[in-house]
Amino acid sequence: MRAKSASSAPSAASASSAASTASARIAAQFVALLVLGAVLLALGLAIGSLGWSPWTEAGDTMRLILWDIRAPRSLGAWLAGALLALAGAVAQGLFRNPLADPYLLGCSAGASLGVAALLFVMGISPAAAALALRVGMTGAAFVGAIGAVLLTLVLARGVTQSLRLLLAGVVVGVVLGSGAALLTLMNPDILRAMQAFMLGSTGYVGWSAVQVMAVALGLCLLTALGCSRTLDALTLGEDTARSLGQRLTLIRLLLIATLSLATGAAVAQCGLIAFVGLVAPHLVRSWGPTTHGALLLLSALTGGALLLAADIAARWVIAPQELPVGIITALLGGSYLLWLMHRRKAHFGGAGGSQ
Amino acid sequence: MSAARFDDGGRPGAGGVPASSGASFATGSAGTSETAADVASAALAMDAGVNGGAAAATDAVTLGHVPTLRIELRALSLGHRQVLHPLSLAPAPRAWTAIVGPNGAGKSTLLRAIAGLLPFDGTLTLDGKPWPTWPAKARARQVAWLGQNEAASEDLTAYDIAMLGRLPHQPWLAPASAADHAAVEHAMRQTQSWDWRDRALGSLSGGERQRVLLARALAVHSGVLLMDEPLAHLDPPHQSDWARIVRGRVAAGGAVVSVLHELNVALQADTLVVMDGGRIVHQGPPHDPATHDALQRVFHHRLLILQVQGRWVALNA
Amino acid sequence: MKSMGPLRRAEDAPALRRNARSWRALARAALSLATLVLTTTAAVAAPITIQDDRGHTVTLPDVPRRIVSLLPSLTETICELGDCAKVVGVDRFSNFPASVQKLPRLGGLDDTSIEALVALKPDVVVAGVSARVIDRLEGLGLRVLALEPKSMNDVQRVLGKMGRLLGKEDDARRLWNRVDGHIAQSAATLPPAARGLSVYYEVDAGPYGAGTASFMGEILARLGAKNIIPAELGPFPKLNPEFIVRANPQVIMVGQRNAAGLPQRPGWSAIRAVKQQRICVWVPAESDVLVRPGPRMSEAAALMARCLREAAQGPVAWPTTPFNAPPGGMR
Repeated sequence: MRAKSASSAPSAASASSAASTASARIAAQFVALLVLGAVLLALGLAIGSLGWSPWTEAGDTMRLILWDIRAPRSLGAWLAGALLALAGAVAQGLFRNPLADPYLLGCSAGASLGVAALLFVMGISPAAAALALRVGMTGAAFVGAIGAVLLTLVLARGVTQSLRLLLAGVVVGVVLGSGAALLTLMNPDILRAMQAFMLGSTGYVGWSAVQVMAVALGLCLLTALGCSRTLDALTLGEDTARSLGQRLTLIRLLLIATLSLATGAAVAQCGLIAFVGLVAPHLVRSWGPTTHGALLLLSALTGGALLLAADIAARWVIAPQELPVGIITALLGGSYLLWLMHRRKAHFGGAGGSQ
Repeated sequence: MSAARFDDGGRPGAGGVPASSGASFATGSAGTSETAADVASAALAMDAGVNGGAAAATDAVTLGHVPTLRIELRALSLGHRQVLHPLSLAPAPRAWTAIVGPNGAGKSTLLRAIAGLLPFDGTLTLDGKPWPTWPAKARARQVAWLGQNEAASEDLTAYDIAMLGRLPHQPWLAPASAADHAAVEHAMRQTQSWDWRDRALGSLSGGERQRVLLARALAVHSGVLLMDEPLAHLDPPHQSDWARIVRGRVAAGGAVVSVLHELNVALQADTLVVMDGGRIVHQGPPHDPATHDALQRVFHHRLLILQVQGRWVALNA
Repeated sequence: MKSMGPLRRAEDAPALRRNARSWRALARAALSLATLVLTTTAAVAAPITIQDDRGHTVTLPDVPRRIVSLLPSLTETICELGDCAKVVGVDRFSNFPASVQKLPRLGGLDDTSIEALVALKPDVVVAGVSARVIDRLEGLGLRVLALEPKSMNDVQRVLGKMGRLLGKEDDARRLWNRVDGHIAQSAATLPPAARGLSVYYEVDAGPYGAGTASFMGEILARLGAKNIIPAELGPFPKLNPEFIVRANPQVIMVGQRNAAGLPQRPGWSAIRAVKQQRICVWVPAESDVLVRPGPRMSEAAALMARCLREAAQGPVAWPTTPFNAPPGGMR
């Protein structure tokens, strides 16, 4: 039965060569995603309100303006996609649930409530208006997202129980979401602004926003990569992970903080963009088995490319009008997943598969 | 007959992989080598057909210090139900302890309590020091755990899963060292899962997957090995292989505790712990008539315990 | 008048002559009374038939005496035509003229309190076309006239229909001519420097702009301003911010709610209107007038004309009062 492996003498070299083919594949994917990101960035610089309008045709002053608009916007879209995809991969690993997305701890509802409260409060009194202007919509969305996660943690009484966390997240999401809806109902003036936020847009992303998101991405990536081994251990179940000496509570707190920071930063700048966080890790997994270290990094790159592509399409299709970018991400990501599922019916339906 | 089965890469004896990997994690005590005494003790405990001298050599793994694990439990409740009543257990090193009993006796719960995975009223000590005072990684190096029906990600390769067993030995974020690779390969070859190390776990059958998970537990190279229903999905040849591996561990000085449903395999252990209703009814070697009485009691005298070719077997009456 | 027969006694002649005169007066009075009654009943009895903006034909037996209005522009129209007293209930957003603020408020378009509305026993309910309550009210047996003016043509049409509803068609026509004339006057009195300026009117954060096909766009066109948003993009397109930067308008008109932060948008500091501070910021009271196609159109045109005039002369000052919107929102 096992005769064929009798030839090679066991050695560390053969073992690590098995691992090295995997890392060669991952390195190739990494490079490919970087190249794709660069290509899309270049494309993003060429698409504007007139549709296809590459910078070679523009005059000097217009080129400067486009540097202030198209470049930060494209880069911001890539960074936001990377943040959301990283958060999604962390969420899926942390909760061992392939349907987890960055918003499952109530981040999206919290951000909506923050924005709705800001818009609502702006008209109430001059003092409130001044405060609202200082905080700004991005600040309100960020505070709302983080606040919602904190509320979820309090409701779940800590990070020890995954199921309680998920349920608390659902509750917080529903309650805060209806709070935002109530505010919108009470003051229908804010309806259009709320809708623009809910569907997501990179329209006003400037260089300061890009800086914020870049810093957030760096922080979150480092932290998540640091915790990636524990995420791998968690795939064997909590008991086994604990028996392997992993400090689950600490890692969970760190990962939830990473999740909130990444989601909050992306949502604050670009609104609620659906589906990127959910689909990017699945795309990476569909290209072959990966440990979490590689999965987190590749997910971020995939998410960035996905959102940037969607943003370009949103700007191009009905220029000079803009489609909400969340619709395009759903179309792009969803149709790719559908095609994958169609192509690998056996893989998804197998006894061992749980996707 | 079984000697041929585990002959993949007939290793040239003690000088091969085990020695090099032994150098990296032997702490203090000299690495045990496969001496004739080991082979002899292995042969005493088991049927001659199951194991051969050469095979014992391939399974030898150098363990460091083997700690003494001791539990003194007053009560353990899950929810509002008291599952375990006062008991105490100290699995001996250089011995294989099998916990048996009817369904619902609390065997898995007891094993999880011993592994420090369940809170209970009582004390759990490792080498005399209470369990919580140990640093997590040091603990993990001493005690390895293999759970029952473990969920596992479908996306990792078998090799990556087995490599997870080396986590207690790896510094934070350090890449896998040569010793880690060697240990994983050795463990996977022991469980005969080496051939599909590059396949994703989701594409393996139940038995293949179980062998990968077993390799993961073996790769920890811990002094104490706790396994809950490790024979799930394994067909009889692989069940024998598993018993052989356990014998090898015991020969190297380790302590193995397993919860087993398969009485026939359990009756090959060094000590049987018979449980019923959350209590330890009897502890003793399998050849002891008192052990047989205890077994009959807890299984309502529906067993036929007899000796076949020098081995104790339990048949359904 | 014939004589009434031979006189019996001479001393009765004066009395009889008096009797004849009173009989004549009586007959004349009876005749005029009959005519009056006939004509008025003829007028009262004529049913009013109007086709509303949904295409439904609504028939009323009579000029309505009790009206509920669920659209602010329709409320204003009724009051401009002099029948403010007939309005017994309004929606939350109707706030002009001041007298309607004392009327019972029946909620917005989507959350109208139907019970309160029905309790007011209106003869007709006028509402916007997009109101969800229309089906419910018609199911309860009320007559609903759905009219929603969105453009200047719409305003003229709706004025005409409301005039028919209230039996004041002439007044409606005169009102329209007055409004139209005021707009033309606003346009005529613009100095030449204020004509032909390129304008961007931002309706909402998004950015949503008012296109040439929208109501604001029409007034801008009447005033001779150039709208940077062409007609083919529709009335309120959601634009790429780059489009506005490229179009480089000379004047920006925006509501006070969305004005803060506008100059700081990435790349917008290069727009002429931002560089030269020609941003007209509307306080809520002014926004009210500008977004509502109705009889106050002339005020809207006057506001925009004022903005263009000021912009032609130099930087436009932002309003000093802090933003203080009505709590229920504006419509």
